[in-house]
Amino acid sequence: MKEILFHFFAALTLLPAFFVATSRKPVNAAMNMLVSFVGLSALFVLLETYFLAILQVLVYAGAIIVLFLFIIMLIDPHKSPAPSLLRFLASIAAFALMVLTGYFLVYGPEAGPYAQLAAEAPASLSRSFGVALFTRYMLPFQITGFMLLIAMIGVIVVSRKDPATDGGEA
Amino acid sequence: MDLGTVLSMILLAPLLAAGLIWMFARQRAVLAMTLSLAAAATILGLSLWLYFQLWDGTAYEVSMEWMRLGPLQLSVGFLLNDLSALMLFVVGFVGFWIHLFSVGYMNDDPARGRFFGGLSIFMFSMLGIVLADNLFMMFIFWELVGFSSYMLIGHYITTDEAAQASKKAFIVNRVGDFGFLIGIIMVYWTFGTVSLGGLQELAHHSPDSVTTAMGLLLFCGVLGKSAQMPLHVWLPDAMAGPTPISALIHAATMVAAGVYFLGRTFFLFTGEALHIISWVGVVTALCAAIWAFGQRDIKKILAYSTLSQLGYMVAGFGMGSLYGLHHGDGHGAALYYGIGASMFHLTTHAFFKALLFLGSGSVIHACHHEQDIFEMGGLYKKMPLTTLTFAAGVIAIAGVPFIGAAFFSKDAILYVAKMTNFPAFLILTGTALLTALYMGRLFVIAFLGKPNSKSAEHAHESPWTIVLPLVVLAVCSVAGGYAGLYPERLGVLVQNWVPLAHGSDHTLMLVISAVASVVGLGLAGLVYGFGSKTDRVEDKAPPVYAFAKSKFYFDEIYNAYVAKVQDRLADFVSFLDTLFISGLLVKGTAAVAGLFGIGARRVHTGSVAAYVWWFFFGLLLFGAFAGGFLDGILQK
Amino acid sequence: MSIGLEDYLFVSILLFAIGFLGVLLRKNTLIVFMCLELMLSASILALIAFSRYNSTAANPLMEGNVFVLFIIAIAACEVAVGLAIIVALWRRIQTVELGEIKELKH
Repeated sequence: MKEILFHFFAALTLLPAFFVATSRKPVNAAMNMLVSFVGLSALFVLLETYFLAILQVLVYAGAIIVLFLFIIMLIDPHKSPAPSLLRFLASIAAFALMVLTGYFLVYGPEAGPYAQLAAEAPASLSRSFGVALFTRYMLPFQITGFMLLIAMIGVIVVSRKDPATDGGEA
Repeated sequence: MDLGTVLSMILLAPLLAAGLIWMFARQRAVLAMTLSLAAAATILGLSLWLYFQLWDGTAYEVSMEWMRLGPLQLSVGFLLNDLSALMLFVVGFVGFWIHLFSVGYMNDDPARGRFFGGLSIFMFSMLGIVLADNLFMMFIFWELVGFSSYMLIGHYITTDEAAQASKKAFIVNRVGDFGFLIGIIMVYWTFGTVSLGGLQELAHHSPDSVTTAMGLLLFCGVLGKSAQMPLHVWLPDAMAGPTPISALIHAATMVAAGVYFLGRTFFLFTGEALHIISWVGVVTALCAAIWAFGQRDIKKILAYSTLSQLGYMVAGFGMGSLYGLHHGDGHGAALYYGIGASMFHLTTHAFFKALLFLGSGSVIHACHHEQDIFEMGGLYKKMPLTTLTFAAGVIAIAGVPFIGAAFFSKDAILYVAKMTNFPAFLILTGTALLTALYMGRLFVIAFLGKPNSKSAEHAHESPWTIVLPLVVLAVCSVAGGYAGLYPERLGVLVQNWVPLAHGSDHTLMLVISAVASVVGLGLAGLVYGFGSKTDRVEDKAPPVYAFAKSKFYFDEIYNAYVAKVQDRLADFVSFLDTLFISGLLVKGTAAVAGLFGIGARRVHTGSVAAYVWWFFFGLLLFGAFAGGFLDGILQK
Repeated sequence: MSIGLEDYLFVSILLFAIGFLGVLLRKNTLIVFMCLELMLSASILALIAFSRYNSTAANPLMEGNVFVLFIIAIAACEVAVGLAIIVALWRRIQTVELGEIKELKH
């Protein structure tokens, strides 16, 4: 049962991801990415990391995709032209090389042995997340909070209409 | 309220005032004056409350950890004992009256905000020295005092003289403080603590060379701050500051901090160190008294007399402690004799020297900033109260028996000198005569006779804010010599630990003092003449005058040293710096980095696609490394 | 056949490669950006898989999971700033095509 689910969710993650990479319309890409992220969070559930699965859906599927769609609506880009043949071939070659390297790294004769799954996974509890975050990882946690603040300020600064530069061109 | 809170309030009141002045009152003179005066009044009021009500007279120590650097623990704390109580009173009392005087004296100065802010900063730093319970805290405030002194000497920022003088004071003090700091570090190395209470328990008078060197290094700080030979050169120049500053900082309190420090750390000095200390004091006392004859500026004369009296205090400390070592029970409390002798003179000196400086300030104020005594004359008619109080000051410093405070305090020093070091006793007795002579010279020329200039003719009595401090301080300098008049908590040192002569010595001291002071003052009238226009010694015996005026060429020697030795060394070091540090190291590294940058710029095409391909190759390299393809290459 | 760590890792590598393919192939800044997010998710998957397979009841190994949490937070920052830059670029030169953005130098 678990094997079937794994293959199903892996396909649910990888196929839409492939469509993201090949679609020429940003809206299609965004919708495919949404599906891909849902599949990914299902894989997290298979790994019994429920808290991160929920977080993945909330942050990526919920916030980031919406942000992308919002920006696509705002600037309404045209459909991109098809890539040149040379670039297409080069990209496919690079992709193939990467997949082959990865396959060799993971399943090759040099790889392994891999750790076996333990019977139960206490790490999945969100309580242990809280304990870890507020004890051992307190400082990184707070720094991350500051980073969010800095990003917010940065966004405001970057996207603000600058009268000195924009005024002349608009 | 407990004692620690009150002491903190005493210490922080002037800092608060200074902060408020800095923030709100730099341009508002009246507000600045009020704040500063209020802080001074708070200090005086709280310390009086302390003496009469709160403090039971036993040593009180409180401290808290400030920071910890490895094994070194720095703390802030207060140590209130007989010594610091007396010093706190002197600083608070004299400080308050000088604040009041400043209100009248500085009334036409455009930068009063800065002045009063600096005055409050000074009070803060000085109280910090007085109350500190460990050497590091003392050092911090020691430097703060140097800084505020620098700021206040340079108050008249537009004059070159003030700028030079403040710089000189700062640099000369640095020289002394360098030794001071090394001394503190040595103390820490030897005893493992810098707390005064802890040190007193650990220190023992083992006459080994390390302890002697330690004491002498600490004494270097005293050399700088109390302007002892050979670091005395800054004090006369410091008179470029406003007169209340000269009175408060460069006569009554800050320069006395060195002597106070000696008293605070008396247990660290060995017999050898005490011998050297006393001789430094004796030589300073004599030389400064001689130099005073070569001066025409009223404040410079007083500055040299301050130097001379500081020499007395230092000598008094050294020989008083020796007296305690030889004639007391040999250890422990007997050493308080040094503190008693020096602190008694410090206290009376603070009264009468503040009085003399403030009197000179009153005169300068009245004569429209005329400072040459030969341009004055006949002031007794125009300014009767100032003249009367000034006369009280002259009598006090000359040590006229029973009505001059220095009579009692100087007697104690002369007595311990006679008991321990006879040549020093002879020199100090001679100096006492000289003191009376040069103070008499100043008084008869400036105040008696007829006016010698227009500004002296137009002089008039100063306002009450100036005269009231004069009167109060005059009363103190007459009464300050009577140890019995001190309140119970304050007078412990003065009443119990001032070494007093007995029997025939007592008579001898009395005769010496009486003869020295009366003969000195009388001789001054005869030699110089009332209100004379020129220096008669300069006219009749030019070599004698030139001898005094030369100041033994200390400034010239220092200038030559700086020009010939120090500047050349600095040039040489600067050449090395240009060649190796900035030439090879800095520019060399920059050149290497620049070459690398030129190469790296080639790969930056500005096109995102190119960067992605770079990324891809990096990724492949990483994959190859992880897969072990590179092992063969890397292991070679 | 039970699912091992290597299978999750291979999925992660595939996802990463697909993302990278998109970055190479596409010229639309928005899509390139989405592909970058895919690559980031691939690394998250690898981290969670490692963390899950190496943890035991006695040693729950929170490091990997906490790290993922931070990555998600940083990714949110990154997306916000990146999209703001895209909007600013759009305002200046009215395009999101990478080929036309040649002012990254100087």
